[in-house]
Amino acid sequence: MKRIMRLALILICALTLSSCGYNSMVEKEEAVNTAWSNVENQYQRRADLIPNLVNTVKGYASHEQETLESVVNARSKATQITLNADELTPEKLKAYQAAQGEVGSALSRLLAVTENYPELKANENFQELQAQLEGTENRISVERRNFNQVTQDYNTYIRKFPNNLFAGMFGFDKKPYFEAEAGSQKAPEVKF
Amino acid sequence: MKKTIITCFVCCLLGLVKGWAHPYQVSEIPMVHLQDRTRYVSNPDQILSASTVSSIDNILYALEQRTGIETLVVAVKEIEGGDCFEFALQLGKQNGVGKKQTDNGLVILLVTEERCIQFVTGYGLEGILPDAICKRIQNRFMNTPFSQGDWDNGMLAGIRAIDSYLKDYQDGTEQRAETDSMADLYPLLFAALVILLFCFFAYRRMRRKSQCPHCKKHTLYRSDSRLISNVHGIRREEVVYTCSNCGYTVVREEESRDDRHDGFGGGRGGGPIIFGGGLFGGRGGGGFSGGSFGGGNFGGGGAGSKF
Repeated sequence: MKRIMRLALILICALTLSSCGYNSMVEKEEAVNTAWSNVENQYQRRADLIPNLVNTVKGYASHEQETLESVVNARSKATQITLNADELTPEKLKAYQAAQGEVGSALSRLLAVTENYPELKANENFQELQAQLEGTENRISVERRNFNQVTQDYNTYIRKFPNNLFAGMFGFDKKPYFEAEAGSQKAPEVKF
Repeated sequence: MKKTIITCFVCCLLGLVKGWAHPYQVSEIPMVHLQDRTRYVSNPDQILSASTVSSIDNILYALEQRTGIETLVVAVKEIEGGDCFEFALQLGKQNGVGKKQTDNGLVILLVTEERCIQFVTGYGLEGILPDAICKRIQNRFMNTPFSQGDWDNGMLAGIRAIDSYLKDYQDGTEQRAETDSMADLYPLLFAALVILLFCFFAYRRMRRKSQCPHCKKHTLYRSDSRLISNVHGIRREEVVYTCSNCGYTVVREEESRDDRHDGFGGGRGGGPIIFGGGLFGGRGGGGFSGGSFGGGNFGGGGAGSKF
């Protein structure tokens, strides 16, 4: 009799756990983790393109040492910061984003400089590298937006009424969002 | 007074003209492919000529038949927001261009007022048609004619170039055919398994019935039977089994359906009916002449150029 009671108790617990949204929380958290790793992949892809780009530019524009170095430095700084999906906190994400943003702005300075070198611009290899870089920037923004969407879904879910009681109990914490780049608010300045 | 009326009239007229050639939103682009699966080019502003559109349709139809790659070509004057990449991406995502499993959609967007040409490749196409190749095709074949306003030749040359670049790529179809036929096979396999199990149990029962409880050999045979009752077609009999090995006899009471009795039988059945459903699922979509996009997803691959 006692055993039956115990079995029934376990069964009831299991059933309530699945009905209180525990399984959905797990699913949604996994979705956030996947989205995060996609974001990281795309940043990694950009980092992998940089050495190639720098070498190509060096061949044509060796005077731009300063700009080239700033790209390389920003890259090495950014690749040092890796962030696991389960240690996503607002501060860490902010630091990560700042480091990657540094790479982005260094790269755009480099690409602006290359405008002065017609031979470089005519080089097909460089054009394709540039296309890959553009594509990667696009992918980064798509994946970041996707990450924000999935995270919002997760955050909303764990903060809704019956779920919030269990979420804290099982350690499902609110996850941070990517914020819009500081520079993206203002329109780019054009100088002639 | 007259002046104000005229001004109002002119304003209205301007508004009308502006409203007529207003920038498109993603959802306003007509999806001709959904009405006719051999058409891929959405050309609401008549930027491309009819003959160009039909040549492109032919190429892209053949491409889809050969590789499974789903393409959407859009040529418009103006777009809302003016961001060609974003617009092309949303075109692909919202319409689900590409197969769902392989994400092999391709969107080609030409916006004449923005002077941009943009390719967007689905997740699965990024490796097959890399960004650098997209850019190269645009540089070599499209940008020069486009910059002279020759939309027809630029678009046709670009799409021919894509087609010839993908000439060697064919595994898509084979892989797709394989997964399709596998998907069709699963219910069949399941049915076969059920039949096998059925046979197995029937065999077990037969074997048990013929086993002698005394010497454990399968040598029992039916030697005599006596009818007890026959109600509503259910026969109850007393059957005597004798073992041919040791001579042991068993008497069992058995029930069976009297086949000659045609009353409210019904009973059994079950078996073969199971196989009725689910056999010819799989396919779907398509329809007679209307096409469909498979719900592919995009991750921002592709390249764009300004001309």
